Amino acid sequence: MRFPVVRRQRQWQRQLSRALPSVLTALALPLALAACASRPAGNGANGAKGLPTIGAAIALTGNASVIGQDQRIGLQLAHTYFQGKGAELRLQIEDGGSDEATATNAFRSLINAGVVALIGPSLSQQAFAVDPIADRGGIPVVGPSNTAKGIPEIGPFVSRVSAPVAKVAPLSINAALKLNPQIRRAAVFYAQDDAYSSSESKIFQKVLAERGLKPLTVQKTSVTDTDFQNQITDTLRRNPDLIVISALPTDGGNLVRQIRELGYKGSLVVGNGMNSPNIYPICQKYCDGLLIAQAYSPEATTPINKAFLALYSKDRGGAIPPQFSAQAFTAYQVLAEALTAVQTSLPAGKTLAALPLPELRRQLNTTLLKGSYQTPLGEIRFSPEGEVIQKQFYVAQVRMNPDGKSGRFQLLP
Amino acid sequence: MDTLLQILVNGISTGAVYGLFALGYTLVFSVLGVINFAHGAVFTLGAYFTYLLIGGAVGANGLLAGLQLPFSLPFWAALPLAGLFTALVSLGVEATAFRPLRRFQAEPLLYLITSLGAGVIVVNLLQILMGAEGYSLPTNALGALPITLSIGGAQVRTVQLVLLVVSALVLVLLTAWLEGSRGGKALQAVSEDATTARLLGINSDAMIRLCFAVSGFLAGISGGLVGLSLSITGPYFGISYGLKALGVLVLGGLGSVPGAVLAGLIVGTAEALVPGEWSGYKEAIAYAFLFGVLLLRPSGLLGKTLVNKV
Repeated sequence: MRFPVVRRQRQWQRQLSRALPSVLTALALPLALAACASRPAGNGANGAKGLPTIGAAIALTGNASVIGQDQRIGLQLAHTYFQGKGAELRLQIEDGGSDEATATNAFRSLINAGVVALIGPSLSQQAFAVDPIADRGGIPVVGPSNTAKGIPEIGPFVSRVSAPVAKVAPLSINAALKLNPQIRRAAVFYAQDDAYSSSESKIFQKVLAERGLKPLTVQKTSVTDTDFQNQITDTLRRNPDLIVISALPTDGGNLVRQIRELGYKGSLVVGNGMNSPNIYPICQKYCDGLLIAQAYSPEATTPINKAFLALYSKDRGGAIPPQFSAQAFTAYQVLAEALTAVQTSLPAGKTLAALPLPELRRQLNTTLLKGSYQTPLGEIRFSPEGEVIQKQFYVAQVRMNPDGKSGRFQLLP
Repeated sequence: MDTLLQILVNGISTGAVYGLFALGYTLVFSVLGVINFAHGAVFTLGAYFTYLLIGGAVGANGLLAGLQLPFSLPFWAALPLAGLFTALVSLGVEATAFRPLRRFQAEPLLYLITSLGAGVIVVNLLQILMGAEGYSLPTNALGALPITLSIGGAQVRTVQLVLLVVSALVLVLLTAWLEGSRGGKALQAVSEDATTARLLGINSDAMIRLCFAVSGFLAGISGGLVGLSLSITGPYFGISYGLKALGVLVLGGLGSVPGAVLAGLIVGTAEALVPGEWSGYKEAIAYAFLFGVLLLRPSGLLGKTLVNKV
């Protein structure tokens, strides 16, 4: 005699074995597709013998993917540019997603693959979760776009080439007040579930208060929000003449569009998260007039920026590079040049591969933080804590073309 | 007062789309007794199809970078056409993720896994082809209609009224079809008891396919409407709407068509009434409300209490 439950289990097992191929195919295919999507052609082999590998974990999926896509281009261009100029390196890009779990997996995967250093992740929120993993393992990490307060302080192996919000954010508020000295009533929106947005918004609110513009309202959103109409309605009834937004490109672009559609005509200052032409398809003609502080100027005439501009333009059909691509290029550059410096310091005939990996990582980190670099962002160096020291910043105003599909970041004088 | 009116219009129009979307879940659940987890992906596809049919170009990061159809349709034509395409995709989901398991009389859990797998495949394919970036339907998608209308002193986006009108129209047509046509009645018969319906001469398999097609059409229309109103935030944007619609389905009562509509309106309005400063927590508030209602009434607002016969 069999208990019904046992019979039912066996029946279920039979059904499962029949259906298993379909189920496994359904589960495996998306993973394979995702892998194809996240691994661009031309990347170095995983754990390749002989050559040091720089690993990059950037947001190729999720709501920060518009940032990650800019960064991927910058990294690939840098990898191409620095081939044959100093130490031979490989580049391995992994999808770090837009959340902490995916970034953690990407970091662990790259660390296990034996990378000499890491670039990433795309978001400060992710950096707070994953940078300690690399730091504990003694692997240098360079943040290409982590601007929140406290990133370099995570540990001695953590540095960044993205200037902190405290340096950059006030510039756009100043520019808005310069363009319209009559501004008296400010409102603030920020994505409360994102570390960068929260950190940047605190700076924005502090600067507004210092300029005598205590926000009429502070609206908290989420990076996954799509419908902001009620918050906008609540804000617009207070008649602001300046709205300041800290959000990521997709939610921020959407917010800008809805604000303009609901009739707001005043000034709009947005934060670094929206510093990408990838916002054009989202806010379209309503992107026009946005004020954004910049850590990069395509107009810089340094040799390295000219080379970067030419590479980018050739690769992207004449387009002008955005800040995130320039910062990613820079992140690769500082590591490549520091590794070259380490190689130069070795006895003749000895290569980087001869050094034990932990020792190579340690030497790389020490050299990285001591160096000075001529990059597309201008001349940069690092503080002993790993904070970027950059000389020049800018403010751009988005100018959309009449078709509402394309535009440019026009630097303000 | 005008602010309240504006918030209510937003809430009701958003809720109407929730209801429309949740109806797709409801139809499949009524007939098969399982939840189609690919429904959110079909919703996403509806938004992308609408975007392409209206003349939108693929961004720079997908395999189809720069692709643009050689024609562009007005929104009013693109939306139903996108619904027809998603109906075909939904039929594909039925053929690959449901029919083989139905043949084996598999456990409901397996349907969840295969439909989830189908949904993930669709979303990943979208990302490969169209890139991960967001898209917005053109700001002039509604032609000569103004961007905002003034109603009782309140500024309301015209698109919100379009959402409300289109959703109401589709709901009326669907109800008329379900209640007044042979096909609709046959579908109801299959949902009551597929075996008995088959004995009465109804082709149950054909009805199940029809059910998936209608469900896919509803998802596609909902996706197109949300895309018009709020933009397409990337291939994954259907996930949160899918979860929301699942909540609406449960709140309304599993399998109840009027329940899904009522619950959609309630959730949409409840979200809209969350004060501005608390809007960041509106999802939590909506789900807390759902949680509370289900504790008091586990069968949902208009669901029937299920009695286990032994």
